[in-house]
Amino acid sequence: MITMYVPTSAPERTIGDVLLKVDDISLSFGGVKALSNVSFDIRQGEIRAIIGPNGAGKSSMLNCINGFYHPQQGTITYKGVVRRQMRPHEAAAQGIARTFQNIALFKGMSTLDNIMTGRLLKMKQNFFLQALHWGPAQKEEIEHREFVERIIDFLEIQSIRKVPVGRLPYGLQKRVELGRALAAEPTLLLLDEPMAGMNVEEKEDMCRFILDVNEEFGTTIALIEHDMGVVMDISDRVVVLDYGRKIADGTPDEVRNDQRVIDAYLGVQH
Amino acid sequence: MLSVFAQIYEQPGFFVEVVLGGLMAGVLYALVALGFVLIFKASGVFNFAQGAMVLFAALSLVRLMEVMPFWAAFLASCAIMVALAFAIERLVLRPLVNQEGIVLFMATLGIAFFLDGFGQTIWGSEVYTLELGVPKDPVFILESVFEGGVLVNQLDIFAAVVAGALVVVLALFFQKTKIGLALRAVADDHQAAQSIGVPLNYIWLIVWSVAGIVALVAGMVWGAKLGVQFSLALVALKALPVLILGGFTSVPGAIVGGLIIGVGEKIAEVYFGSQIGGGIENWFAYVLALVFLLFRPQGLFGEKIIERV
Repeated sequence: MITMYVPTSAPERTIGDVLLKVDDISLSFGGVKALSNVSFDIRQGEIRAIIGPNGAGKSSMLNCINGFYHPQQGTITYKGVVRRQMRPHEAAAQGIARTFQNIALFKGMSTLDNIMTGRLLKMKQNFFLQALHWGPAQKEEIEHREFVERIIDFLEIQSIRKVPVGRLPYGLQKRVELGRALAAEPTLLLLDEPMAGMNVEEKEDMCRFILDVNEEFGTTIALIEHDMGVVMDISDRVVVLDYGRKIADGTPDEVRNDQRVIDAYLGVQH
Repeated sequence: MLSVFAQIYEQPGFFVEVVLGGLMAGVLYALVALGFVLIFKASGVFNFAQGAMVLFAALSLVRLMEVMPFWAAFLASCAIMVALAFAIERLVLRPLVNQEGIVLFMATLGIAFFLDGFGQTIWGSEVYTLELGVPKDPVFILESVFEGGVLVNQLDIFAAVVAGALVVVLALFFQKTKIGLALRAVADDHQAAQSIGVPLNYIWLIVWSVAGIVALVAGMVWGAKLGVQFSLALVALKALPVLILGGFTSVPGAIVGGLIIGVGEKIAEVYFGSQIGGGIENWFAYVLALVFLLFRPQGLFGEKIIERV
């Protein structure tokens, strides 16, 4: 049975135990060190930001977490299980969904189909029944479709339901990509620059969606973002990377006042 | 020009015969084109080895039939094609993941030449006759409607039925199942597909297996018609204009494209060939494909080429 939690009153956010722990991760491409001995953790239910100047290794970090990259050194502990290497589809099967910096949508498919692909892992009926569109398979498809429609409503993209996403403007594509990630009902949602290239209004909408997802579904979120205002507003804790090393880790206030962060990053504020 | 229409009007039975003959040939083209479409849809790779796979599958079938009954040989050949798909995925596709399309295309070129040689090495390089137990004699049908009836080949009818059944199964498989959805996802963006939990290797294995079995069916029907021999590998070239017409990504497109080309070249040959000295049948399909490239490069049913810049 597929249900989507609808809050009756403002839910209380609770930050739980460590969901994902990154321990002493090093990653290099040939002679280029992308990450050096980085350790931090992400707690259940929190919004965790990863910030840093361009080339600091933020995206590489996300790629390690969801299995696109395999670090040469260090371990990643997810849900208490230590893993060294994992392939992306295995990470997805364990509840890690993500969006991409450069948007990786299925451009030829409609918004609806794109979000539907997010449900692939939830589809249980065998393909003979699906092919015949019969019995339990039909029931299952209707359930998935309903779930997808609820995501579409939630993200306020009803009007572009049937539009091939390749035709959509950038901001909406980002929203569809978030929808596809949400369709998988992830435990951990990785967002790589969800607000890049958006105008103020679109950024506000995206912030609202991220906060709503976190509050209403209790989804743990790790996000990379360059807009400092956004990061400081919505995240519980912030980890700062610079040249592949962790230089600070803490609440937004702590990070904001950290001298090394100011030197590396915030010091260049306009 | 007018004389052509007069001719059609005076001999409607003959016209129907030409069209039917064209449709039957078209079905055969479509069978080969289908194999291309499947792999192109799933991996964006133009599989140059499809023709070699047709030959290899037909050789396996015909040689195995010498020692076992047809159904056992057919199942064994299916198993061989699945094993081949497995080997291709492991040895060729997996090391080349995330490479440019042209790299993968060159790899399939290599597979094509390897399979051509390997198939003839282990199965022999003579011309083998494939007997499916279907009578090959032409028969007259619709004698009550048209004067003198319409002449059709029974083997062609058999081929049409087989192709039709195959298409229905494939259409259901790819349009309605989650594997179909996963396949479309993989075709569109490898990285995104992985991130939503689609195992690329598994999808490729499925697609190459299905393409292998389609090649087997095509090889079986073509082999019964022409004999199993090296020239089967060249029928793949006939599938190219079909793909351009129908669109590289569309299963229905492969069918309709095949039929249009089959009928088109027969009509062109029979009614217009004599006026310019004949031989139209050999190049008609390619010229038609060129015209399509000018006006509708994505084909009749292909996905629209959308690019936001």
